[in-house]
Amino acid sequence: MILTAPLGLLALLAIPAIVAIHLFRRRFPTRPVAGLFLWQVIRNVPEGSGRITKLPITASLILECLAALALALIISGARWHPSGVSPHLVVLLDDSASMSATNPQGESSRDRAVRRILAEVRQLGSTGRVTLIQSGERPSVLLGPAALAAEVHAALDKWKPQAVHHSLALSLRLARELAGTSGRILIVSDVTPEVRGAGEVEGAIWTAVGRQLENVGITGAQRTLSADEGMAIVSLTLGNFSPSAAHRHLRIVTTGGQGTEEKEVFANDLNIPPDTSSFNVPLPPGLPPMRVALSDDALRRDNEVVLVEPHPQVVAIQNRLHDGRGKQALNKALDAVAGVTRAEPGHIVFEDAAEIAAPVQSGSWPVAFGRPPANMLDAGEPKDFAGPFIPEKRHALLQGVTLAGVVWAGTLPLAAGRLHPLLSAGTQPLIGLLGRQPEDGILFNLDLERTNLIRAPDWPILISNLIEMRRQNLPGPERWNYRIGEWVRIRLDHDPKAPLHFRCGDVERSLPSGRTLEFIAPAPGGLLQVMEGNQTLFELGVNFLDENETDLRNKSTAENGAYSAEARGLRIESGPAFDPLFWTLLFIAAAALLANWCLPRRAGASS
Amino acid sequence: MSRPSIDWRAVRIVAASSRLALPRTPAGGRLGERLGTGTGSSLEFQDYRQYAPGDDLRHVDWAAYARSEVLTVRLYREEVAPRIDLVLDVSRSMAVTDRKFQSYAELCALIACCAASTEADTRVITSSSVEPVPLRRPEDVEGVLTCEASLSVIEQPHLPLRRRSLRVVVSDFLFPQDADVIVNRLARDGASLALVQLTLREEAEPAIEGGYRFIDVEGNGELDLVVDGKAAGDYRARFNRLRLGLSRAARRTGARFVHLTAGASLRETARSLASAGALEAV
Repeated sequence: MILTAPLGLLALLAIPAIVAIHLFRRRFPTRPVAGLFLWQVIRNVPEGSGRITKLPITASLILECLAALALALIISGARWHPSGVSPHLVVLLDDSASMSATNPQGESSRDRAVRRILAEVRQLGSTGRVTLIQSGERPSVLLGPAALAAEVHAALDKWKPQAVHHSLALSLRLARELAGTSGRILIVSDVTPEVRGAGEVEGAIWTAVGRQLENVGITGAQRTLSADEGMAIVSLTLGNFSPSAAHRHLRIVTTGGQGTEEKEVFANDLNIPPDTSSFNVPLPPGLPPMRVALSDDALRRDNEVVLVEPHPQVVAIQNRLHDGRGKQALNKALDAVAGVTRAEPGHIVFEDAAEIAAPVQSGSWPVAFGRPPANMLDAGEPKDFAGPFIPEKRHALLQGVTLAGVVWAGTLPLAAGRLHPLLSAGTQPLIGLLGRQPEDGILFNLDLERTNLIRAPDWPILISNLIEMRRQNLPGPERWNYRIGEWVRIRLDHDPKAPLHFRCGDVERSLPSGRTLEFIAPAPGGLLQVMEGNQTLFELGVNFLDENETDLRNKSTAENGAYSAEARGLRIESGPAFDPLFWTLLFIAAAALLANWCLPRRAGASS
Repeated sequence: MSRPSIDWRAVRIVAASSRLALPRTPAGGRLGERLGTGTGSSLEFQDYRQYAPGDDLRHVDWAAYARSEVLTVRLYREEVAPRIDLVLDVSRSMAVTDRKFQSYAELCALIACCAASTEADTRVITSSSVEPVPLRRPEDVEGVLTCEASLSVIEQPHLPLRRRSLRVVVSDFLFPQDADVIVNRLARDGASLALVQLTLREEAEPAIEGGYRFIDVEGNGELDLVVDGKAAGDYRARFNRLRLGLSRAARRTGARFVHLTAGASLRETARSLASAGALEAV
């Protein structure tokens, strides 16, 4: 018997208290009498202080002491188990998708890992405790901490490795925390620690249960629209990680989510050369999301992708600059940028700086060149600057802009505090925001007619940066197809009126309400639907696409390391409900209290 | 505590052969059938005396006047109806158990029947503050046996006892007392006094039974006590002293005393009462 809370033995002090109570004030069955005075003169049991007579060993005293003893043992956490310490095994499961790769006999690394773990658990015995950790970018506890050994089998049945390539560092840290000084750590992977990039792992056994296998998989996929040719293109990057060419059947079907009938749009047999190759499939535009699948091989996870046709975000431009070489240069630069159109109202309105104060259409960014209104100017003459220029390098507008050899001409002195400068020369702002955001207006303190900027390479870069800044502010997703684990960013053109959530296969999560949505593309991937209430806002493709997991040539079988000799085992903290002694003591205490309650009544009744 | 049930038929059968013992010459009473101690109008001659104005001329002994020329009147014994005061203890101690209550009720019924057979003016006294209840028929006694008082009638001062009445007191006498004082008070101005003490057997002779919390039924406190041989012996000694004190005090005042144990049969009870002189054969 062990005591999990020895301080609870202090409750045994109740026993001398009970004895004292019985010594000084006994509880007797009541008996009505007619002549109490005849007894009183021979009274020898004082109620308060007085001479202590011999303690009568009554049934009440015995029952009360028995109940106190039983309750004290319950409080002190008495348990039957003789040692109170169980061996504790912490198993780190490599959740990489390659663990699911099967050999020609249909056996996967996962199957071998399960056998290895169960053999280890059997050695722990029935009192052993096991913690299963599933690796990943965010490691999770699959079983435990310190669960009963009997629960391992059921937990391993639920383990289906499918994660993209990831580091085991975080998972190993979690394993060490959970093992503490009590547990032994077993790492199960399909590669050696050197290949996994973990180096030497101290105080743990690393078991590699992989097998070298040949495999072909999709390691990259895109779906693009070719405006010129009026068609969509599915571009696939195929990895053949075998020494010889492989024959596979490629099939593309449309899929619109649950309940929608699939329709085959392409099917062909491919002869895929070793290493990496590309394959393009032209398709008509406007098709719904597609499922691209290769025929089965060792790893099924990398044989399928879901691709969604992108909806290009065209930036509308309104050029209000007065005619001249500046306007021409601007039009020339805009022509070189894809996804731009001339329309009113424009997403960007180029205008003379003198009109900067005039209101523009909501959603338009005013971009002004030339002489600003008088209220923005300070006293002084225009100046030309040949450098040095001080850019705010992190701003998207100035990405890749060097201004080498540029003469910034016609710069007027501006009143202090009127601009948030993005580019300066000395104390003079050359480019600046009129407010906190670009939609408040961007002022180029520049005379386009005189500067040589419009002939420099920085000019189209500046204009392109400006267009892309605006494009990223347009409603909709940044991209339409993602890898698992990538950040998905979506801007809405309205405030959501219903709860936002996304659904991707069996995964469904709610999203914070707002115009900007950001979340990580979830595993296991597939068609992801962003929904506002019951209405689907966007459909995106989330795919595996992991060359590291597709390449199964470096998998091997080995065992390295040794358990830490300092693992002392886990002190049993099992609940009292599992311990027979708890129930025995509880029964004794209850029976003693009940009997003690009944005894005086029976004695009184019989008297 | 349930009300006792009295088998009046059995009581009458037992009481048929007995009646309450009366003194040979009753001290007083209303005009009745019993010879009194004074002169009266009965047929029994008592004495002569010289005529005095106002005497009843019908009692003048004319023959003696003829012989002696002295007017002499005959004196006759008076005839009285005896008065009986039944003093019944209706405190809770008389009903401490069902058995005691039942025996007490049967005892009172027996005494009531015996009193009725004396053709006496019988009243039942249960409290000094309550008007005595006339006992017109024996069954009337049943109505007063409530046994809910917290104080015995004997402990109460100024009992409404009548002069020259025959007094029968029934109680367990289990209260702190001075026997001489009590008996003298009960016997004062009375024609006779009979004390009947009724107790349970365990009240007289407690067995050794272990620990108990004794609770006085009349609210006089509680007591935790382990009853062992010594304690039981001490109790018996005290109880005997109490009973002996009553007996001696009764003897000193010419009263009769009898101790009865609850649970005895009616015949045994009647026999005990008769042997103590409280009842007499018809």
